[in-house]
Amino acid sequence: MPSAHHFLEEVITSLRTVIVPAIADPYPKAQAAMAAVLLEFVSRQVEERSDIARGKEQALGELFGDLPKLLSGQSLEGDDKEDQESRLCRVIEQLYVHRSQLGEEIFAAANTRVRQTLRQLLDEELKVAKPKD
Amino acid sequence: MADTVSIADKICGYLQTKMPAAENMRLSDLVHTAGGWSHEIYLFNARWQENGQPVQRPLCLRKDPGVGLLREFSNLEEQYRVIQALEPTPTPTPQVYWYEASSDLLGGPFFVMEKVAGEVPNPWSRAGKQVYAEAAERGKLPKSFTEALASLHNMDWRAAGLDFIGVPGPGKDFALREVAKWESLINQSIRKPEPVLTELLMWLKANAPETQRLAFVHGAYRTGNLLIKDDEISAVIDWELQVIGDPMYDVAYVLSDLNRVGSPLLSCVVERDFFIDYYQELTGLTVDLDACRYYDMLYAMRSTAFWLSASGLFAEGKNKDLRLARTAYSVPVVLDMAAKALGF
Repeated sequence: MPSAHHFLEEVITSLRTVIVPAIADPYPKAQAAMAAVLLEFVSRQVEERSDIARGKEQALGELFGDLPKLLSGQSLEGDDKEDQESRLCRVIEQLYVHRSQLGEEIFAAANTRVRQTLRQLLDEELKVAKPKD
Repeated sequence: MADTVSIADKICGYLQTKMPAAENMRLSDLVHTAGGWSHEIYLFNARWQENGQPVQRPLCLRKDPGVGLLREFSNLEEQYRVIQALEPTPTPTPQVYWYEASSDLLGGPFFVMEKVAGEVPNPWSRAGKQVYAEAAERGKLPKSFTEALASLHNMDWRAAGLDFIGVPGPGKDFALREVAKWESLINQSIRKPEPVLTELLMWLKANAPETQRLAFVHGAYRTGNLLIKDDEISAVIDWELQVIGDPMYDVAYVLSDLNRVGSPLLSCVVERDFFIDYYQELTGLTVDLDACRYYDMLYAMRSTAFWLSASGLFAEGKNKDLRLARTAYSVPVVLDMAAKALGF
């Protein structure tokens, strides 16, 4: 997810350089200019969320702990030194590439477990991205 | 404002060179529309004297902005040639007049076409949904919507000279080509790992359907890309994603929930059973719901590719349009829809 501070800065810049100059009517022009000022203050109050990254990290750690058992000793490429989400991307690719060698039963069990983690990762991102009802 | 005046003068001068018999060429009502994401669109009226008689023609200029969305896949010259090839066919399209490859005049290639009479109510807005819902009640627009799509799929695309856009091989080639095309955009745009997208891509590669029959496919057939006048489609527009491929690719887009958020009607305008029955009657094709489900997943991947590309352009400072920034938040939402459809 992009940084909230970065987006706030961009919105403030757009308000000042694109939107305010294009408004002729004095009242909405003043409102737009004031929105930029307010967002500058808000930007100083906002703290980036860390719970999402923590939630993802925990879900990924549990998955990488479970996978060896599900794969019955067969290993998949996926460098444990790389970023955890990149590692998961490699594991997913390898699961499909080696599907016939793994056999359908092992593939299905591992894929189901991977998808469980993917759902957890999505749910973390949707804490911010989910549209308001 | 100064830019707009300057552009008006440049367009006016260009039209004069294309129509040497025209005298006193003038432009009025020039509007730079906010609708396009990938191209700049200018609407205006051109007025001139010819053989002593006043002439007026509503025109539309579509320009390559250089850093818009889908720059890699949306060749302006191809769009021009496609619309030109469609002119003698039953599919309603604007008449195109001139293509300018040089960037010298307006800073990018552009083409000029007829401004077809009609409106494009925004299907994402409440007001637009209301317009489509009321038209659906009257019954004429759902028929016209289905007939225009059938006209595309029934077209002899070789006879129309449309094979220049590329013809896939038999079997799974079309689906796999589309997956590869959008995966390449993802690879160019992605800024952080997206494991859900990786799972979706691998599923798409493992489950590609066979194409039953090749047809000329619009690639984004929905309300919002159709001009409407008197409850009929007056023009199919936004020729950016057309391919020769599986007609179910378009049918799936019509059936997709992606294009009817908040409406019980497909594409906010047509009832599902009516659409399927009437489309089958007009084309002689059987709607393959399994293939459509596959293409719906492909659309989720394609939408993700759009949004990653759009938000990437913004993040890299290449385009300051805030609409592009907003798309960063659309990525998990589209992937969530795909994940649910895949069962997780």
